[in-house]
Amino acid sequence: MNDIIVGISDLKVSNNPVDALVTYALGSCIGVAVFDPQARVGGLLHFMLPDSLLDADKAKATPAMFADTGIIALFKACYAYGAEKKRMVVKVAGGANILDDTNYFRIGQKNIMAMRKMFWRNNVLIDSEDTGGNFNRTIRLELSSGRCILKSSNGTVRNL
Amino acid sequence: MIIDSILKSVDLIPAFPAAAQRVSELLSDPDYAVADVVNVIKNDQAIAANILKISNSAYFGSRQKIKTIQDAVVYLGQKQLTRVVQTASISKIYQKGGKGYASQARDFWEHAVAVALMSQILSRMIKDREDPVLYTAALLHDVGKVIMGEYVWEYFQKIIGRVNERKCSFLDAEEEFIGINHANLGGRIADHWNFPQEIRDAIAYHHRPDMLEEEGNAYASLVYLSDQACLMMGLTGGVDALAYTGLEDIMRHFDLRMADLEKSFITLLDDLGKAHDVLRIG
Repeated sequence: MNDIIVGISDLKVSNNPVDALVTYALGSCIGVAVFDPQARVGGLLHFMLPDSLLDADKAKATPAMFADTGIIALFKACYAYGAEKKRMVVKVAGGANILDDTNYFRIGQKNIMAMRKMFWRNNVLIDSEDTGGNFNRTIRLELSSGRCILKSSNGTVRNL
Repeated sequence: MIIDSILKSVDLIPAFPAAAQRVSELLSDPDYAVADVVNVIKNDQAIAANILKISNSAYFGSRQKIKTIQDAVVYLGQKQLTRVVQTASISKIYQKGGKGYASQARDFWEHAVAVALMSQILSRMIKDREDPVLYTAALLHDVGKVIMGEYVWEYFQKIIGRVNERKCSFLDAEEEFIGINHANLGGRIADHWNFPQEIRDAIAYHHRPDMLEEEGNAYASLVYLSDQACLMMGLTGGVDALAYTGLEDIMRHFDLRMADLEKSFITLLDDLGKAHDVLRIG
């Protein structure tokens, strides 16, 4: 299998069955994995912040940095490979927070809210979600099967 | 007792590279002679090699191409040179890795560099200037893990069990099962190296700057915030992840809002891109 690494504020799309899209160490950031089982197209986004209003120039140059611009860019990139919205399976993980979280540090929580709002507004259902907590997560999306493996730093490994 | 064998390990830890100490001393005199600095650096080949690897990194921003130690000393200037020498020296210390915390020594080094770069971003935001002492403290903040890792490895199931079940911090769980936490242990290592108190305290209290008297905690607080920001960004690779306490008073003290923290994430991502060569020497 050929691993394609998705960095922070990055997204990758593929329809090659030998590929796996992988993103490491999601803390407060969120990974969004999508797969169209019919077109066999998959995409993985690793966004860092909730709202592109924070920095419009950055959002233009690096849309994958923010929940709002990143999710749109992810779906558009998949459509370009022949994926269709109604068939796409959506899985999300990340959005962890540090302990005793106050309003000063809740970026993970804000990311979760922004991500859910985007999907709700666009009539997309989230098929599987593993968010919150205070541990890191790694996501691996296999293009051959659409299987999405979630590994957490607290020791668990499972299918997302 | 575990604690006794840990404290013995502190006495056995190799001395901080003498060349780095000596260069810092020389550079603290604004009238330093280039030839003196060059000679000291050339005496430590490993540090000299690292300096050449990172001097041309976009992060340190030299306009001239640096090919020799002489070039580095002439073109980088006092502030950047201090940081380059500290980075080149401290990477050697982290090379032992953080077994027990991170699966690879490289992740451990990347975290240290990310926190050091973030400390300068916050320093610019709050004090309008960069700060080489803060940079050194930030780069060394997790040095305790070099010794602690062996023990965390041994007690990992107990520690992570406690963190999961009671939502206590990783720091508290270390103290409960090992008898000391990695921050305090790092402070003892800094003591062993005769570092100034401000650096020692910044390391020893980087998770709990609120436990220091107010006048002494500016460095500790900035290292704390830099560390928390990097943990949130996932720039850790460690098993302890985000299991540390959020202290809102520290944010309030510097008059920082969450949006400021979010902006600092963006700047750090840019700086890490420019510091590619620095990440590679780890």
